[in-house]
Amino acid sequence: MLESDETQPRQETLDEYYVIDGDCHYMESFHDVAEYMEEPWKTKFEGSNFDEKGAKQNLSSFFPFSTGDRQAHGKITREHSSYPDEPETPERIRDGMKSIGVDETLLISHLILSGAGTTADDDRQTAFAKAYVEYMLEEVLDPGDGIHGLAPIPYSDVDASLEILDRIEGEDAYVGACFVTAGATPPLGNRKYDPLYERCEELGLPAVFHTGGAGLDEYVRAGYQEMLETHTLGFLESNMSQIVSLVVQGVPEKFPDLDIVFMESGITYLPGLMARLDEEYLKRPEEAPLLEKKPGEYITDFYYGTQPLEVSAETEYLEKCFDLVGADSLMFASDYPHWDYDRPTTVTDLPFLSEDEKKQILSENAKEVFGL
Amino acid sequence: MSTTELIEVKPDAKFEDGDRELVEVNGVEVGVLRVDGEYYAVRNQCLHDCGPVAEGAIGKKLVGEFVEPGKRVEKEYDDDEPIISCPWHGWSYDLESGEQLADDDIVLPTYDVVVDDGVVYVDCQ
Ligand code: FES
Repeated sequence: MLESDETQPRQETLDEYYVIDGDCHYMESFHDVAEYMEEPWKTKFEGSNFDEKGAKQNLSSFFPFSTGDRQAHGKITREHSSYPDEPETPERIRDGMKSIGVDETLLISHLILSGAGTTADDDRQTAFAKAYVEYMLEEVLDPGDGIHGLAPIPYSDVDASLEILDRIEGEDAYVGACFVTAGATPPLGNRKYDPLYERCEELGLPAVFHTGGAGLDEYVRAGYQEMLETHTLGFLESNMSQIVSLVVQGVPEKFPDLDIVFMESGITYLPGLMARLDEEYLKRPEEAPLLEKKPGEYITDFYYGTQPLEVSAETEYLEKCFDLVGADSLMFASDYPHWDYDRPTTVTDLPFLSEDEKKQILSENAKEVFGL
Repeated sequence: MSTTELIEVKPDAKFEDGDRELVEVNGVEVGVLRVDGEYYAVRNQCLHDCGPVAEGAIGKKLVGEFVEPGKRVEKEYDDDEPIISCPWHGWSYDLESGEQLADDDIVLPTYDVVVDDGVVYVDCQ
């Protein structure tokens, strides 16, 4: 178990701010979620090679797994850092929040991140997502205590996704819908997903696009050798491809009241993407006829989780990136408990942010977007 | 007070649809074009990298309409919005206003064209 918060360095800084974590992962186990499955998946899940049969949940036979060892082959040793062998418990999430100085958190499924790499069928993702929604609602989420959920959307199956959105209508515990950007084919600006965005807009649920490690080994091409390569590139590519697709296909014009959030690729990629897309758009705007302004201006209308924040970059450069994206578009995200998680200190330490901007990023933007 | 100074282009009767003529106006090259019976004049220097934009392809603005979620965006050319595209990299401008189609903060200088007594002139004011 994690140690109590008294042992955390810089506790006084953490105490100073009210923090909402836009991206925290619940390490749900297949074992627990299986109980909420419909048949035939319940039986299949329970008969899969987990638990006593010897496989750890991170080596499941259900979803494919992806590149590299998240704990850097033994270097990252903190308890509960990524994929625990034991099923997650709601108590551990509370401990985790306390340990990194978070007051409210938004949980997303960690297994659905790898599920996005399942391309052989869309049944398993759907079965899992539906059961996860029930399991979390029943056993984990606790909005009164600041533990909110994002419902996984198995977008390959639009009908099933709509059923999930119907299911969470009016459930206060769910404050958004989560689309895993890895593996989305066709990209998420395609018109086939319109009904999902329309429904999210209608329900007032932000669409949270979350990159992921599914298929990371061969995210665009085969042959990478290290996670340093695939994690650096693949997480970016998955988000960038969906940002470009959403903007060029006019999703923000089709659904002007839909809040769009992107998670887990840091922020320095955004100015580069904006500049490149704008440059191309100046030469071929007829290919994006729904746009009323330059693509970069839609990109800064979206919201972004800060993690993994590139705090080691040159300060002037990082400051410029914050300026270009805008403090009003950023929300703190920890990605806890994954290996490259951020504490709120990554934001409070930034010398160029005003106190107001820090508060905006640490809680106010999330409060507004997710209606907390 | 503005005074009108007219630069002669050529007789109206000899200007066919699709014709274009280059004239010098205040020391810069201006392209005068006739498109669907209307005259337009734009500076022949693209705001991207000074390409000969007035010599580029004439087209119409493509507009899209979002009809319904899940349906294809309906796309069609707007007959009322002729555009000209620079032959070098394709920057396109509204012929009437000079606005770059992707960014209306970028405006190619345009000029009034007048027909007086059967002769086409550019008003270089
Ligand atoms: S110079 Fe005209 S488009 Fe480049």
